[in-house]
Amino acid sequence: MSTGRISNSEVLFGQLNRLVGYVRGNPRRKVALVLGAPVLVLLTLFVLPLLSMLWLSLHTETGVSGEFTLENYRQLVASTTYLEILRTTLVLTAETTLIVTVIGYVLAYGIVRLSTRTNLLLLLVILPFWTNYIIRMYAWINILQPDGALSSVLLSLGLLGEPTGFLYNRAAVLVGFVYVWLPLAVLPFYASLNNLDDDLVEAAMDLGSGPIKTFLTVTLPLTKGGIIAGIALVAIPTFGSFITPVLLGGTNVTMIGVVIERQFNEAFNWPLGSALGMVVTAFVILTLVLSTKLGADLLGTGGEA
Amino acid sequence: MSGARALYKRLERFVYTRGRTVGRSGMALVLAYLWIPILVLVIMSFAPDIFSFPPTDPTLEWYVTFFNNDEAIGSIMTSLKVALPVTVVSVFLGLLVAFAVDRYDFVGKQQLQILTTLPLIVPLIVVGVALVLFFGAINVRTGYWTVFVAHVIRTIPFATLVIIPTVVSFDETLEEAAMDLGSTEAQTFRRVTFPNILPGITASSLLVFTISFNEFVFTFFVKGPGTTTLPTYIWSRVRFGLTPEVNVMSTVFIVIAGTLILLAAYLTQANKITGL
Repeated sequence: MSTGRISNSEVLFGQLNRLVGYVRGNPRRKVALVLGAPVLVLLTLFVLPLLSMLWLSLHTETGVSGEFTLENYRQLVASTTYLEILRTTLVLTAETTLIVTVIGYVLAYGIVRLSTRTNLLLLLVILPFWTNYIIRMYAWINILQPDGALSSVLLSLGLLGEPTGFLYNRAAVLVGFVYVWLPLAVLPFYASLNNLDDDLVEAAMDLGSGPIKTFLTVTLPLTKGGIIAGIALVAIPTFGSFITPVLLGGTNVTMIGVVIERQFNEAFNWPLGSALGMVVTAFVILTLVLSTKLGADLLGTGGEA
Repeated sequence: MSGARALYKRLERFVYTRGRTVGRSGMALVLAYLWIPILVLVIMSFAPDIFSFPPTDPTLEWYVTFFNNDEAIGSIMTSLKVALPVTVVSVFLGLLVAFAVDRYDFVGKQQLQILTTLPLIVPLIVVGVALVLFFGAINVRTGYWTVFVAHVIRTIPFATLVIIPTVVSFDETLEEAAMDLGSTEAQTFRRVTFPNILPGITASSLLVFTISFNEFVFTFFVKGPGTTTLPTYIWSRVRFGLTPEVNVMSTVFIVIAGTLILLAAYLTQANKITGL
């Protein structure tokens, strides 16, 4: 800097400055520079794979070199096995969502209306949610397995004659699902209850509504957005789940996610697996559209996953 | 008709007098449901075998086994080797999106927000399978980099959603003030902007790290033989025979993840990490 000599770094700096000037000259270029990387990553590594899956699902077993066909989808609709699996998946999803909604609402209502230690209670809800999914499933295996914790406790209470197992059935899968998705629903429920203006509830009471009527005509309708968001947030991952049915249901409970996993890791019929994946995606889109139509508050105040 | 009315009246009175107690008990039951399995898990990590609940003579022997298990320790190392760089990349990408959303007006802003939250919504198994297909189609061998990329996709939405509020709430007139007082742009960023958005960056880093460290489904599909992360290792152990060592691993895992989440919660207040 002291003499007139121009160092390499200064040349580089000059070029950098010119580049900055070029980008700055036009707000569009600025946005492109800032957004280029994240958008490129998402488009090539998220959107493109999903599209290639759709493409593969429209081909025969030989892969994309084969013929363009709807055969995979026809097979899904024509086979009673797949329809039965679809039914099991739908029923389990509905049951999970219903139970989660009821007990999740009780919990959220309690946190907002019946307690002052909001932050502590929210943490108690969130911490299990951030515990590894497999570990949360494993925790239930510990409890439900033959000779496990539940069996031991019931035995010592005299409620059981001999050690029993409670694993590998629908009930176990249901307990597991409700367990993992409960926090996910509590959060939007909490948000909508917390945003509800208390004065409205008081007004209804002052005007002579009893607690039940107030709840049904004021609280419930005004938290509808949060409730529907919670339902969507639970229904979507449950429908596509494969870990819980495998670990807690064993071979007795087959859901669509389990079949997809098998197509890719055991049966190696990838086009069929892709078609099943598209069915799950269609369910998700349907749920999202339906819930938005019904006024779900998905990204506004609630909804984190 | 009058019977139903009378019943309703009695119900109302019941809710008046006992409603709070019933509500609180319900809340306590649900919280117990959330925490009892975790407590059982922790207790069982001190049990000599998996079939004695409650354990009669607690032992630390399985902790010793765990810390001497090279495979388990190796999987933790793999998880760290993935999670740390993923955190840097995802948070940086999230920060870029947050700045773009906050500072510029451009066509497709809403679509951008949908695009960044979409990986959160599409079921994991679908994206996991799509990624394997895609990597297969472009002839990329599964291994470290496929796991890395999958984790970045998985964590971008979380990184973005957590950073956006901090970036939006940052008062840009502070930047103008710094510049008016003679700071260069770089100085302004380093001394004014960066310190102000640091809490958001830290919280988002902690969350991204935790999610990546916990990630299972994507990893399960795109991992190669040499990239067994801790969750995939636990999965294989759970599927093929149970030992108290899995309880130990889980307990260690819960303690680490719990600490990180509490730290994130402390830095941003609980409501930010829940996205409320």
